Amino acid sequence: MRREIILVDAHLGNLDSVERALVHVGATVVKSSDPDRIAAARALVFPGQSAFSARTDALVEGALGAAIRMVIERGDPFLGICLGMQLLFDRSEEDGGHPGLGVLPGVVRRLPADQRVDGRPLKVPHIGWSDVQPTGEHFYFAHSYYAAPEQPDDLMWTARYGQLELAAAVRRGSVYGAQFHPEKSQLAGLRFLRSFILGGRA
Amino acid sequence: MLKRRIIPCLDVKDGRVVKGVHFAGLRDSGDPIEAARAYDAQGADELCLLDITATAEGRDTFLEVVQRVAAQIFVPLTVGGGVRREADVRRLMLAGADKVAINSAAVQNPPLIRRLADLYGSQAIVISVDVRRMPAKTGDSGPLYEVVIHGGQRSTGLEAIRWCEQAAQLGAGEILLTSMDRDGTRDGYDLWITREISRRVSIPVIASGGVGNLEHLREGLADDQGAADAALAASIFHFGLFTIAQAKAYLADHGVPVRPPEPPRALS
Repeated sequence: MRREIILVDAHLGNLDSVERALVHVGATVVKSSDPDRIAAARALVFPGQSAFSARTDALVEGALGAAIRMVIERGDPFLGICLGMQLLFDRSEEDGGHPGLGVLPGVVRRLPADQRVDGRPLKVPHIGWSDVQPTGEHFYFAHSYYAAPEQPDDLMWTARYGQLELAAAVRRGSVYGAQFHPEKSQLAGLRFLRSFILGGRA
Repeated sequence: MLKRRIIPCLDVKDGRVVKGVHFAGLRDSGDPIEAARAYDAQGADELCLLDITATAEGRDTFLEVVQRVAAQIFVPLTVGGGVRREADVRRLMLAGADKVAINSAAVQNPPLIRRLADLYGSQAIVISVDVRRMPAKTGDSGPLYEVVIHGGQRSTGLEAIRWCEQAAQLGAGEILLTSMDRDGTRDGYDLWITREISRRVSIPVIASGGVGNLEHLREGLADDQGAADAALAASIFHFGLFTIAQAKAYLADHGVPVRPPEPPRALS
């Protein structure tokens, strides 16, 4: 049976590549911005390419945020990608400070701009392929802010950037978050998505 | 750690790859969709499509190309060429581009950079900077580079390093730096200006213009030479001289951190 995934369309960027990657690994994908439909999802993927802003405030405080929390509280699989992962946390320092969904304790912070590595400034945004630990696989990252989970147990994979060990992926129960873009990460990304739709990876 | 990227670039005119891409296993050398799929399969870290068409019909054709390429690949896609205004960026993003490169329009209207970064995020906005080395004058403390626009046909009077710093402050996510002196020469990147900008500007720098062999890629990326975050190249890959995998093996052997090539994709 093909696994049905509801892809949350919060108008935070183009969803086509995430949809295509999920279909490629065997999911049936339905895009929706309808809170009732989303609340009833058996599996939810929430991508986001934009930034914390007044738009994410409306999401967090509105029906869409409530629907996402309902799926998570019920224990159905959830995957947040990039901004979708950052929104799992309590709040972000971006754009003067905005709330997140508060599913995982922690704050989203800006990557440090004052580090130098091999004679060059540590570049912000962090753009490109970094390996994650402990698996050693490479994924494509594109972000200026990173999530700092308060609970070490929520950390699934880390990636080294300058002196920082940043949260590349987080997990609590059936809630997953990826700071990288699995849909842009070739085979490693497809493997990650396939594991998610097959019921999560330990 | 973050790896240095290899980015093959396709120049597209009226829906076809200019001068074509010629390597084993490619049926239609002028088809950008086939070429993009082949580079994705070879393990390119990213793809770049540049529209060099000047006509309105050509622009529509390019949008279709972007759409079809984006539907084929699982790596990031940067597109550029003729991007004048916000509406152009929106169309390209909707067609599936992950990043849009802006050149002359950013020089003529720098606040556009801030506006686009606010709308799409810095990571989606690449500022394409074409530079030319100025003739040396007595009293110069070092080489001077000028920003040129409209394919190098027009001077701007802008000093290259200063402009890149300004673009970064305005919210640009990356600099795509092309040496007009080296472009098409196969003499290698202009390492001096690439290194200066990469060391002084806080956003990633993509080196472009002049690659003729694998050693040029290494020079562009090596910390003590070009110090770039990514190396863009066209002809050395298009003519089948080297595959992406060969380029990565060479770089890895010579101490440049790169993402290892992937095995053929069998997942479906």
